[in-house]
Amino acid sequence: MNNGFVHFAEFELQIIALGWLVVLYVIKVVQLSRLPMPREKGLPKGSPIQGALRSYTNIFIPWSMESSKKHLWRWLEFGAYHIGALIAILNTFTTPFAPGIMTEPVRWVFAILIAPALLLGIVKLVRRVASPELRLISTPDDYFSLASVELFFFAGIMALLVDTSLWRTIYFLITAGFLFYVPFSKISHYVYFFFAAAITGRRYGWRGVRPQARKAE
Amino acid sequence: MTLDLANKELGKKYTRLVGSAAANMCAHCGWCIDACHVYLASRNPADTPVAKAERIRRVYKKDHDWLSKVFPFWTGAKKLTEAELEEWVTLAYRDCTLCERCVVNCPMGVETPQLIAAARSALVAAGKAPEILTQLADMAISREENAELYRDFFLEQVKEIEKQLQEFLGTPDAVIPIEKAGAQILYVPLSGAHTILPEAIIFNAAHASWTMSMFEASNYGVFLGDSAKTKRISERIINEAKRLKVKEIVLTECGHAYTTLRWEAPKWFSDPLPFRIRSILEVLDEYVRDNRLQLDPLKNSEPVTYHDSCNLGRKGGLLEEPRRVIKAVAQDFREMTPNRLQSFCCGGGAGLVAVAEWSEARIKAGKPKADQIRQTGAKIVVTSCDNCRHQITELSEHYNLGIKVTSLTELAVQALVIK
Repeated sequence: MNNGFVHFAEFELQIIALGWLVVLYVIKVVQLSRLPMPREKGLPKGSPIQGALRSYTNIFIPWSMESSKKHLWRWLEFGAYHIGALIAILNTFTTPFAPGIMTEPVRWVFAILIAPALLLGIVKLVRRVASPELRLISTPDDYFSLASVELFFFAGIMALLVDTSLWRTIYFLITAGFLFYVPFSKISHYVYFFFAAAITGRRYGWRGVRPQARKAE
Repeated sequence: MTLDLANKELGKKYTRLVGSAAANMCAHCGWCIDACHVYLASRNPADTPVAKAERIRRVYKKDHDWLSKVFPFWTGAKKLTEAELEEWVTLAYRDCTLCERCVVNCPMGVETPQLIAAARSALVAAGKAPEILTQLADMAISREENAELYRDFFLEQVKEIEKQLQEFLGTPDAVIPIEKAGAQILYVPLSGAHTILPEAIIFNAAHASWTMSMFEASNYGVFLGDSAKTKRISERIINEAKRLKVKEIVLTECGHAYTTLRWEAPKWFSDPLPFRIRSILEVLDEYVRDNRLQLDPLKNSEPVTYHDSCNLGRKGGLLEEPRRVIKAVAQDFREMTPNRLQSFCCGGGAGLVAVAEWSEARIKAGKPKADQIRQTGAKIVVTSCDNCRHQITELSEHYNLGIKVTSLTELAVQALVIK
């Protein structure tokens, strides 16, 4: 593998792809922020800040939603999948920009954390095809997004465990492609989450709906 | 033409809230699927919250999402068609009661009911909203426009109720004041004695400074999704409160009236309203706390359960007040499971109870609530919303629950000790 191309894939291409991602997200956030948003004006019954905080942290409190309390396995799956995703993203920064910390044990830890996400991604794909409820709402973007994340995880694990220039190049080419696609896909949900959780949480907080005592939820 | 009007209205409703719900915020994870009472009753994949939201989201995406504009097939985006708009009528008015149970069970907080509400508004603009809801909203407006025509009948009705009040309290001093300027409270009932007499008993027993006016609390503009009518109907009460210079508006046990006046109406005015707005539930809670009523819970000895109206509870924040009152006026209170924030909609919310041709679907969608009630073994179901009361009464008949449905004020009146 040509060293120049490996370097390009790891550095220049990543910076271009990240720049693209940031620019598109800034545009999206500005567009969304410019939409009208009627504010709560009735005398507050609770705290909008606490409500927003609760919205942001809800997902970490499985008993706060029936959807996680009743389906604890699904909640654990969600956690493991997103931890894997977080590590895979972190790896795209640490490998090229902080190679000193990527010792053999660290690479193994990263790979071990990404591996469950890779397996759970397959479970998610199978479930999406098998469940009539999920199949009905799924679009080509749903399948492609899931598949591309799977590819990203797989290449990440290979680049971590088989530390050859070939796998690193493949990994960073996939990462760049992924970054170019993400702003257009449902994978962008993590950006919108910060908006919606704040809006919904503030409303529930203002009206005294959330947070409630634990027994109330 | 109708499509243009519907699309224009969808554009107007594209707020930050709708914008984020319509965008790629929904990851199609399916966590909301079994949060919906309509889906739980039908098990039809098209009845899940995400499937319903998706129908509207895809139309929004066609106009607002970059990828969907270029490759609509990739995200399922599509233009609104006449056929789709026709299907939205049942989707928006029958198959979703805007209960928000899906919102509190979504890890992202996707506001699906906002999308459904936008669809309702589009249907109003296109002239496709259920006729009965339009008629009921128009009737409320007409009552204001022709107030003098209704006045005599209203006063006559109140006089009759006043006689019953005096008989109940055993004193001719008990009164139902009408349009009394300077009173502390403007109490706003629904049309019908069942939301006037019990409250009049409570206000008199607590020696409250109160008055009534001839406008009722219900607001079918909300159910329609017609912002102009909603505002117009609400303004009747707000203007009356300003004219009478009251300190607060107290709304009867009505879910949508509370959410609309307490939380939505203040947004329409640049200046803060010169009075506070409360529900009778909060007033009862205050009277119980301040010992302004002499109550004997032994008078309500049968097991009682409480149904949280979605508007009062999940959307309004009145979760503990009714419970504190029930514990003070009844001997055996049993919670439904789940309750409060996770309470199931009765199946008749958001105007559905008024549309006769959809009664079969409504009763079917009420099955999860009927099951919840049966599990408590309660003989009395208290609910603080007239729509819920109507629906649960019908559920009791259909599913043989053998229960009596009552309001919280009526239950409190039962426990009242009259000297």
